[in-house]
Amino acid sequence: MHRIRVIKDRLFTFYVVITSALALIPSLHLISVIILRGVEVLSEAGIKFLVDLPPTPLSTQVGGIAPSLLGTFMLTAIALPTTTLIAIFAAVMNNEFPNNPISRILDVTLRSFASIPTIVVSMTVYLLVVIPMGGYSAIASSIALAIIALPYAYTIISAALGQVPHTYREAAYALGMSRWMMIYKVIIPIARRMLAGGILITMARIMGETAALIFTAGRFRTGLTLSPNQPVDAIPLLIFDYALTPYPVMHKVAWGAALILLLIYLITFLSLKVLVKEVKL
Amino acid sequence: MNKVGYAVELNDVYVRINRSEVIRGITIKVPLNTIYVIMGPSGSGKTTILRLISRLIDLIPDVEVTGSISVLGMDALRSDPYVLRRYVGMVFQTPNPFPHMSIYDNVAIAARINGVANNRDELDRIVRWALERAMLWDEVKGRLNDYPHTLSGGQRQRLCLARALAMKPKILLLDEPTASIDPVNARKIEEVIKSLRDEITVIMVTHSPHQAARVGDYIALIYSGTIVEEGRVKDIFLNPKSEFTVKFLRGEV
Repeated sequence: MHRIRVIKDRLFTFYVVITSALALIPSLHLISVIILRGVEVLSEAGIKFLVDLPPTPLSTQVGGIAPSLLGTFMLTAIALPTTTLIAIFAAVMNNEFPNNPISRILDVTLRSFASIPTIVVSMTVYLLVVIPMGGYSAIASSIALAIIALPYAYTIISAALGQVPHTYREAAYALGMSRWMMIYKVIIPIARRMLAGGILITMARIMGETAALIFTAGRFRTGLTLSPNQPVDAIPLLIFDYALTPYPVMHKVAWGAALILLLIYLITFLSLKVLVKEVKL
Repeated sequence: MNKVGYAVELNDVYVRINRSEVIRGITIKVPLNTIYVIMGPSGSGKTTILRLISRLIDLIPDVEVTGSISVLGMDALRSDPYVLRRYVGMVFQTPNPFPHMSIYDNVAIAARINGVANNRDELDRIVRWALERAMLWDEVKGRLNDYPHTLSGGQRQRLCLARALAMKPKILLLDEPTASIDPVNARKIEEVIKSLRDEITVIMVTHSPHQAARVGDYIALIYSGTIVEEGRVKDIFLNPKSEFTVKFLRGEV
């Protein structure tokens, strides 16, 4: 009997190890290819890769991705706080006021956003924002990115707030805290680590999105702009466009840009891990 | 606030949760500054009574309350619950200090919210006073900035007691405060409760007749949402009138 249990346990452990490896191998392969190819490009281009303009198709120099890098930062700076604030508000409503009609409307609307294809979001924003504004812009792109990222942010933040044990809500009320004070002083701080994780995933979604930008950003790669009303570019859009060209120099830029995007994720992820401490219950 | 002879009065109170009756016509009068113990088997409605007094019952969906509840002369069912709770401290069965706040902040926040302390010196004094009253000061005075997860279960429960006391409540509700902690800490908590007699009104829920006898002035024995017997501790223990009380005191229920 004991032997059968040991065999079953070993078989299950073996199964878990194999399936975990199968799940990890494609990701590790992708990351290692990006690192190998990207490092090659970055070592050739040097620091100029971050500050130069992209090359022309027949250029001998790799150049840089400065407009796309600046555009990605600008779009993230507009879309991430907007998405996060709306998602936190909706998640608080969903958790603390579940029977309120506003909570139900928000819940249905935000969840339904997840089922809309990103290219459709891009086209809709093109019709409703780009055309009335008279051109592509960072604002239009940020709106499209926010619509795409909202369901992710909302679902994760809602789960984070919902995981705070009910007993802390009771303790807060018993001390005379109002509902909003309880949310601000107790629920959000206890859930901070998972909230930070949710914001990070939202950021990754915003920084990595391509289709949303096709009809909204304008692919401005010939200079640098900080104006939200002007066309912008973004790293994923640059990678997408350059990967489709037949020019080797542009493929190189795409690999280098992919590595830069990966590094931005890693640095943000590690910083959050260090800065936002987990609350031990 | 009116001057009243009773801290809490429940008159013919019924509570239905999801249409199921959990409290059935309970009438209780808790004299001011005494220790009133609500005793009974599991599921008899003891905790519901505490939730009624603190209006934490509002957090339960589909709840219906009828009858009247007076807390320090206020109509508890019609008062603003946030105002009412400032006079009523509560300690729960499982210790629940705020895990993201230090030991100091856990106590200080209660004083701050309720306007008990207006500056840092006053706050320091209140925190020390509350921790001393909860018999925890000597154990934590050197590490007030530590987080509650570094404390034992019993110490955490005493921290919750200190937090409730820092509100300077007129009424303290204790929901089986020693149920999930070791006997040494349980004794300390009982000592704290006894030391509060004549200062504030304490309403404590327990399923232990021995604890009720050690701590209480008055006892209400409830079963299945109704009062079986109520009176002074000595009267209930020496001359129980109901067969159920006798069985409960013998541990047969």
